Amino acid sequence: MTTHPTPVGRTRRRASLRAAPARRLAALATAGALLALPACGRSSDSGPGTSKQDISSGKATGTITVWAMGTEGAELGSFVKDFETANPDADVKVTAIPWESAHDKISTAIASGDTPDVSLIGTTWMGEFSQADGLEPTPDGLVDPGSFYEGAWNSTEVDGTSYGVPWYVETRVLYYRKDLAAQAGWDKAPTSWRELSAFAADLKSKAGVDMPLYVQPGQTGSWQTALPFVWSAGGQMTDQAGTAYTLDSDAMKAGLTFYKSLFDDGYSTTGTLDAGQLESDFAKGDIGAFISGPWEIGLVKDAGLDAGKFAVAPLPGQESGMGTSFIGGGDLAVFRDAKNRDGAWKLVQWLSQPDVQTNWYETMSDLPAVKSAWDGGSLADDQMLSVFGEQLNNGEAPPTTPTWEQVAAVIDSDIEQVVKGKKDVGAAASDMQKQAQSIGTGL
Amino acid sequence: MTTGSAASQAAVATEADRPAPRRGSVSRRRQTRTAWGLALPFCLLFLVFTAGPVLGSLWMSVTDIRNTDIRSPFAVNFVGFDNYTKLFQDPLFHTVAWNTALYVVLGVPLTMVMALAAAVGLNGISRLRGFFRIGYYLPVVTSIVAVSVVWRFLLRPDGGLVNTVLGYVGIDGPAWLDSTSLALPSLIVMAAWRNLGTLMVVFLAGLQTVPKDVLEAASLDGASAWQRFRNVTLPTIRPILLFGAVITSIGYLQFFEEAYVMTKGGPLDSTRSVTFYTYDQFGFGNYGYAAAMSYVLFVAVVLLTLIQFRALRTKD
Repeated sequence: MTTHPTPVGRTRRRASLRAAPARRLAALATAGALLALPACGRSSDSGPGTSKQDISSGKATGTITVWAMGTEGAELGSFVKDFETANPDADVKVTAIPWESAHDKISTAIASGDTPDVSLIGTTWMGEFSQADGLEPTPDGLVDPGSFYEGAWNSTEVDGTSYGVPWYVETRVLYYRKDLAAQAGWDKAPTSWRELSAFAADLKSKAGVDMPLYVQPGQTGSWQTALPFVWSAGGQMTDQAGTAYTLDSDAMKAGLTFYKSLFDDGYSTTGTLDAGQLESDFAKGDIGAFISGPWEIGLVKDAGLDAGKFAVAPLPGQESGMGTSFIGGGDLAVFRDAKNRDGAWKLVQWLSQPDVQTNWYETMSDLPAVKSAWDGGSLADDQMLSVFGEQLNNGEAPPTTPTWEQVAAVIDSDIEQVVKGKKDVGAAASDMQKQAQSIGTGL
Repeated sequence: MTTGSAASQAAVATEADRPAPRRGSVSRRRQTRTAWGLALPFCLLFLVFTAGPVLGSLWMSVTDIRNTDIRSPFAVNFVGFDNYTKLFQDPLFHTVAWNTALYVVLGVPLTMVMALAAAVGLNGISRLRGFFRIGYYLPVVTSIVAVSVVWRFLLRPDGGLVNTVLGYVGIDGPAWLDSTSLALPSLIVMAAWRNLGTLMVVFLAGLQTVPKDVLEAASLDGASAWQRFRNVTLPTIRPILLFGAVITSIGYLQFFEEAYVMTKGGPLDSTRSVTFYTYDQFGFGNYGYAAAMSYVLFVAVVLLTLIQFRALRTKD
């Protein structure tokens, strides 16, 4: 319940619990609508185009059509007034589309060739849409990849080519009850796995917290909480080139062993929580700590917990220091069938300027993907958010292979079997790898 | 409707025109043309929106089409029955097929017995019948999401109504939805409760067609209430029972929503159904594999329906 398969931030998380059936049934309908004509077979080169074209210099002109989901879509239209002022001949038309139908709409648009110029794309969709030959590679020199958080930039790269630009990001950190931690004798957050266990043990024994550290016991999206432990132990989900899964690693076993210990030692539960139970139990003090993203700050406050009673901290590393967390968010991509590609890329370029990113945070509270955007405005002063800013420097995006969601479901299922004692860690790691190999990367 | 009326019109025309073939052939042709004209919109809609996708998905099930092929759906490889072979070797498919079979085998009789009991009960009372009928039917028209929220509360391990009541009689109730052995039965009971309303209404209508004089005659001959029910009522409403069994089985074979909103297919895939798995595979973009699975389910629906027709058909 705390996490979600498609890591596109707060809006996405909320929306797609409802979104999924519509989206998948629609995919079924779309796919079903393809009539039975003789199949011609795959050509030997079935990959998408990777050649990059420069964009023209000068100001943007003409109409630029943009799709954006959720509140982003509602706010972007008035936000781009500044862009239109700077580019008097350009006219930006924003269409807000609901997250529920976004995947399907984009997929249909790519299939029919009738796309907008730019769209917000959930990071886990990048692999699929780029491999479907729907997105245009990012022109060289459009933006400086180094100005973005590395994990965020990696979410745009599929098989070595970048197909968009990060727009906003989110990452997962440790939330804990400051007051209860103080009762348990902790005036700071744990900074290693050993300390994390001790922290949970103290919360339970000294502060009487029923469930000191809730982490998700398998099922959809649990990989987002479990894999940070694997990344922290030095694991990678794919090889360097991103062309083969490497799940059966020592780091996977180390991460899962620790994850499992949180259940075996009674710090978390193998039962499922009801919607909203995490926040209400945290507010009541029945849950002492958990791992989640920035949207949880508001939800916890809504559950009635005073802001002074809880704090956030970076994920602890395996031995010491900061661990590696999960990075999600949204990317901006230009379609291969865009009618105004030059204007579209110029808009994307504008949206990734540091000051524009800072302003966008003020408008939407979306965390900026550009590092220097964190230096200005209210972001620089917010203590809780600065923890997220710190954690973003040490975050991994999941692989951008088109089959990742399917592999992630396998990982979810193996995590569940491990924490419930149905499978030992070694067997789970080798099962993940075996299944991932048979699924393939889809590249 | 269009085809039906057109066909009967054509039949009427054939009968009426027989005595005067020459003159009739003109008017018959005109009537045929009109009939086709009336039937055309339906035929077109049927071809485009029903037959097309059905054939399209059949074609998909014998190719390796994925979601990344949407721009060139015909540039995919023909793989014959590979998807089907892979499916029958997939251990998760075995699990979901077993879950679905359990759901049907336990759920359909349970729903039918409960619905029949409710119908018989309602048939015997005259006061408050409308009230009870609405009460039993209400779950059918209630949103599954609202139902699931309430049932999750009822089945909560601590403080849930079910376990609280069990606690009164000294039973320590389990965590219903977190147990691999109890989650599916819990969903079956919920589905039976949710679906019995429709069958009850149908059965109630059936019970009212049972001739009163036959029942009276049986009663004069000394038949007990159970004997009257067993030997008069049941045989009379046999076709209605068949109808109920068929529509309930078809619905239960495609069981999805309950698991989706209550357990997300867990714990440990114990409530994942064939439809749920198909839906997963479509979501993962494996269109060919998912289409193959839909066809396996389709064949299962047809087979089960045939079996039921055979088992419950009217004995002459």
